Amino acid sequence: MDWIKFDILLRMVMNYILKEKVNQINICYHCGEKYQEEIIHYENKEFCCSGCQKVYQLLNENSLGDYYECDINPGISPSNQNFEYLNQSSFRDRLILFTNDELTKVNFILPAIHCRSCLYLLENLHKLHEGIIKTQLNFGKKELTIWFREDVISLGHLANLLAKIGYEPLISNQDENNQKQKRYSQETQFLIKLGIAGFCAGNSMLFSFPEYLGIEDGAFKQLFGYLNLLLGTVSLFFAGSDYFKNVWAHIRLRKMTIELPILLGLIVGYSRSIYEVLSQTGAGYIDSVSGLLFFLLIGKWFQQKSFDFLSFERNYKSYFPLVITKLDEKGEEGNAPLENIEIGDHLLIRNQEIIPADAIIVKGKSKIDYSFVTGESELVNLGIGSPIYAGGKHQGESIEILIKNDLKHSHLTQLWEQQAFKDPAYKTENWENFANKVGVYFTVLLLSLAGIVATYWLINDPSKWANAVVSILIIACPCALAISYPFALGHGIRWLSQFNFYIKDIQAFERMSQIDTIVFDKTGTLTLQEDQPPRLNLTRDVQAEEWGAIYTLALQSTHPLSRQLSKYLLEKGAQKIMNISEFREIPGKGLEARMNNQSFKIGSLKFAGNHSIKKIEDFYSSESQLHFQINGEYVGNIQFPWKNRKGVEAMLHQLKSNYDIYLISGDKAFHSESLSDWFPDKSKTKFECSPLEKMTFIKELQDCGKRVAMIGDGLNDAGALQQANVGIAISDNHLHFTPASDGILKGSEIANLPQFLAFSQFGIALIKSSFVLSVLYNLIGLSFAIQGNLSPLIAAILMPVNSISMLLIATIGMNWKGKSLKDHLNQSPK
Amino acid sequence: MGIIFIMIGLSLLMAIGFLMAFIWSVKTGQQDDLVTPSIRIITEEIDLQKNKIK
Repeated sequence: MDWIKFDILLRMVMNYILKEKVNQINICYHCGEKYQEEIIHYENKEFCCSGCQKVYQLLNENSLGDYYECDINPGISPSNQNFEYLNQSSFRDRLILFTNDELTKVNFILPAIHCRSCLYLLENLHKLHEGIIKTQLNFGKKELTIWFREDVISLGHLANLLAKIGYEPLISNQDENNQKQKRYSQETQFLIKLGIAGFCAGNSMLFSFPEYLGIEDGAFKQLFGYLNLLLGTVSLFFAGSDYFKNVWAHIRLRKMTIELPILLGLIVGYSRSIYEVLSQTGAGYIDSVSGLLFFLLIGKWFQQKSFDFLSFERNYKSYFPLVITKLDEKGEEGNAPLENIEIGDHLLIRNQEIIPADAIIVKGKSKIDYSFVTGESELVNLGIGSPIYAGGKHQGESIEILIKNDLKHSHLTQLWEQQAFKDPAYKTENWENFANKVGVYFTVLLLSLAGIVATYWLINDPSKWANAVVSILIIACPCALAISYPFALGHGIRWLSQFNFYIKDIQAFERMSQIDTIVFDKTGTLTLQEDQPPRLNLTRDVQAEEWGAIYTLALQSTHPLSRQLSKYLLEKGAQKIMNISEFREIPGKGLEARMNNQSFKIGSLKFAGNHSIKKIEDFYSSESQLHFQINGEYVGNIQFPWKNRKGVEAMLHQLKSNYDIYLISGDKAFHSESLSDWFPDKSKTKFECSPLEKMTFIKELQDCGKRVAMIGDGLNDAGALQQANVGIAISDNHLHFTPASDGILKGSEIANLPQFLAFSQFGIALIKSSFVLSVLYNLIGLSFAIQGNLSPLIAAILMPVNSISMLLIATIGMNWKGKSLKDHLNQSPK
Repeated sequence: MGIIFIMIGLSLLMAIGFLMAFIWSVKTGQQDDLVTPSIRIITEEIDLQKNKIK
């Protein structure tokens, strides 16, 4: 295969050229990130942190250096998370797929997989550790199957090794795992059905050939007829078994869907064929029946595009740690799975850990960050005896807590006790989609037409009534909707996924086209914390050495604000000072140290600020401020302001003309500069909302007859996302958890939301117009069928022609629009 | 015309053969991942080329 070699050669040359260029603009050889602070030199290459350098070293020592040849700066900064807990039997037994004396097999989801270098490294993992026998990667599912020897490397160590080279495994909870397994086995089943339907359709068309050509030969006719019947039986009752199940389930709920008239047409066609073949009066309609079924199944297969690396079903459990540290009566620490928490347990919560259940503090002091739950990012100070609620993130030294409520009954999880969460089919059943709505009318109309025609013929010419009714039911089968709906919307989902907008299913895509109201969450959705340009407010001049000291101090901490500060000061040309002493980091407060006989403090207002200055009302700036103190003297602060996401203003402007837009937020005050122009009407903004209030806000809008889309990000929006007709979660990072939603949109693409909505509307318009076309087809067919003289030949031709033209319209139309959307987005400046 | 009976039998048998092959491929997981092999081929080529040079 010469072109492959050529391709590789070209890539290598390109890599070489690009690397040369890349090195000039100071990016890490391993991960491609721009240098934050100091550069680490190793073997003439530059790295952003020692983690990246160590990965490089590790790979090079094990002759896996080709990792860097496959793609440009492919690496991911390593993670330090410890997965030792996987060795506990409760986790081990769940994760391991198969084990014997020789080897053990396990599957890991690695969300960081992104390029062919990942494939190269992960499939050569056995070179890194002797305990690993073989690995196999599934790129689409981002899943790595590992065969390893458990006596040489434990499961926890294996996970740690993956994290160390940058591929942190995602350990999902039990429910998610089970759901996934169930879906995989359903997909396999479905594929087999599809294959059999195709086989039956193809062969029965072959056996119907003599009929098409008008060859009259009794012996063949009989043989072909029986073979056709056999194929038709397999096709209808095996490949089409889901239709029977679904229609039956809906009838029991007293509901009609589009599947009912389809199934009716199929059954009538099949029964008629049995009669014709057995009575030797004709060849039947088996080819049409099995052909239609095949097309329908292709459509179903096409619509079930699943994004395996994303999860649309996460609930609060995904946010909690999988293991907790329990203290027994003697005060000794032990790990336990989250499910084992009971009322009265003593737990140890370390810095940055999440409180797993409602409790009270027994030992220590805490600053709790409830932003996770409420969206409000002000820290709450708590001491011994204070109640503390599940979902809060603890900051400060380790504390001991006493559990008062188990997980299911805690304050946070009450949100999931709301109706919208309890009913699993809340969205799919409560919003009629176009196809099903039309399906109801269609069925009623069809049955009454058949009734009228039957009565007419029974009176005028009883020999014709059966023929006419059967033809009507077969020909009027609403295949247009059943085929163009999944194809058009399936294409729509595929196109949007190219723009980093992942939609759960085609029903969600359709609901998106119908909305008239959009509710935005503020923090994290419309606004973003930007690192530049920070604002300095100084009370006196600060000397260069003093900046140097502050810079040195900031370098000691990994806190995001300290990192931002050190980056900013480096750009301003601050020099590092070597002699630093008495360094202390007080979690949640700030840093202090002595340098050149002077004391320096940086940190929060309380810690390093001047007590005389009033607390600033605007709560964002209070959160993103760092204050400086030198020798006990307050010298000023630096603000890292919140900024709107790119293109948000233009997006709101565009949406305003077509949609009702609202802003809700858990925040206390409104940072009015940046967004108030777009939300001038006070009744359309709501602040200090709890998660439950956000949910009821959406419900109130819906009660006024509005169809609402909610755009949000955190767990605090989970209720609103679930309640809304369409809930779209914003995510910036593939590892980031998003709450249950109908769609996941990458944060940087939010500016294109109006285009995406317009695209979904185009999809529905396309379906509607192709439906009109198919009604025309059906009218022609019906005009023959009513008269009772529709020949099987015409029926057999008309049905596939109808199906195929629907398929073509949907495919060509959506691809054309998708392409023009792509061109449009590429042209517009990012 | 009798030959047609045999031909039909053969064609049906062949079609069933292909159907069986398809079902077997689904059951053994060959349809599970259609993306990775296309990428794997590139990394394998790199290994091969290196070995040749040595």
